[in-house]
Amino acid sequence: MAVVRKSIAVMTSAEKTAFIDALRQFKTTSANGRNYNWYIDQHITFFSRTSDNISHAHQSPSFFPWHREYLRLLELDLQTVSGNPEIFIPYWDWTGTTSPFTADFLGSITNGSVSSGNFSPSWGWAIYRSSIATSFLQRRLGQNASRPTATTVNTVQGYTVYDRSPWNSTVSSSYRNRNEIELHNRVHNYVGGHMGTREAPNDPAFWLHHCNIDRLWWLWQSNRGIDTYQPRTGTTSGVIDNTETMRPFAAGRTPFAVRDISALEYSYA
Amino acid sequence: MTDMKRRDLLRYSAAGVVTTATVLVGAQGLAASGPASGRQNAAPEDPRDFDEVYKGKKIKGKHNAARDKDELRINNKKLALTVISTLFIPEDGSAPHVGLGYISAINHYDPVEIDNDKHKDGLKKLAKKVVDILGDLELSDEAAKDHKH
Repeated sequence: MAVVRKSIAVMTSAEKTAFIDALRQFKTTSANGRNYNWYIDQHITFFSRTSDNISHAHQSPSFFPWHREYLRLLELDLQTVSGNPEIFIPYWDWTGTTSPFTADFLGSITNGSVSSGNFSPSWGWAIYRSSIATSFLQRRLGQNASRPTATTVNTVQGYTVYDRSPWNSTVSSSYRNRNEIELHNRVHNYVGGHMGTREAPNDPAFWLHHCNIDRLWWLWQSNRGIDTYQPRTGTTSGVIDNTETMRPFAAGRTPFAVRDISALEYSYA
Repeated sequence: MTDMKRRDLLRYSAAGVVTTATVLVGAQGLAASGPASGRQNAAPEDPRDFDEVYKGKKIKGKHNAARDKDELRINNKKLALTVISTLFIPEDGSAPHVGLGYISAINHYDPVEIDNDKHKDGLKKLAKKVVDILGDLELSDEAAKDHKH
């Protein structure tokens, strides 16, 4: 069923509880052949280049559509596992003042650790494939980077070309790379701890952050055109073209297939 | 000679052997690094290498000629490194530039510039950043797993 993805700033307490309880349930219960840790595995696997030398998820044009499909799948799985078709992934507009790191939502932080309450081990949140030797979710807010300002967001949203050769993290004037580095990377580094690692989806803040990144891409598409993905056709070496399937998703899940969110059963409020 | 004295004598002798061995290894190291030695297997130390303590943790970095082969250990735990070419957009507003940077499982979204031209201290900067991120914690075995970008 179609859902409206809301800002964390306007979520009701019942919506917050439903969202975090579904995440916790998905840690130990499978839905549609997946569980929560499947998502962490995919993030680690597809951060690397695949054997055909394609970069699917990061540092490449498919950064936006790959994560759009990744979030859509999780939203569907959370609805399935909870039996609640109204579950949605909320977005965290990090230029605002509302923080997700509260005791009643994504959990409070004590000396860098979520050691009690929501998203602690005793609450039911087991850290998976951590590169930091710990059983507690780690966050280091602001230690390594500051949050992007609204001015920076506006500057990035002003880039007119979706992406361009050489289609990687060196491109200086493409919307995709400027967003990926200046907004997306920076917020991962602002939260720090597990959010700064390869296994970042251990922190549920991952979904709220990427939901906001997806919202910004959708706003950009609304201005520049929905069907504006680059590269368009052919077999550009090392990257996903507009009509090429993004792994590990099902055949036909291409950038073109996920270009319009109204066809993906969600919208942004 | 009492038992105690014999034990002391053994201990000092053992220490003496260790000292001699250390000196010999040192001498070989010096000879091997000299231009006239002709030995191929003892690569000269890279002046950027380090083995020191930062905020209570042992940081050890070794540079190798091949790209992607530099090594870093924090308290003897390996951190696998990947070198990427990337745009650096400094937060202080200075001009963006393209350079080579290290990423790892720990700083996956925050490449540290290798900086082979000016300060040549990228690997040590990375080591310190990782220690700051770890705080009181250590790297796990997962951090040693390689990946390709």
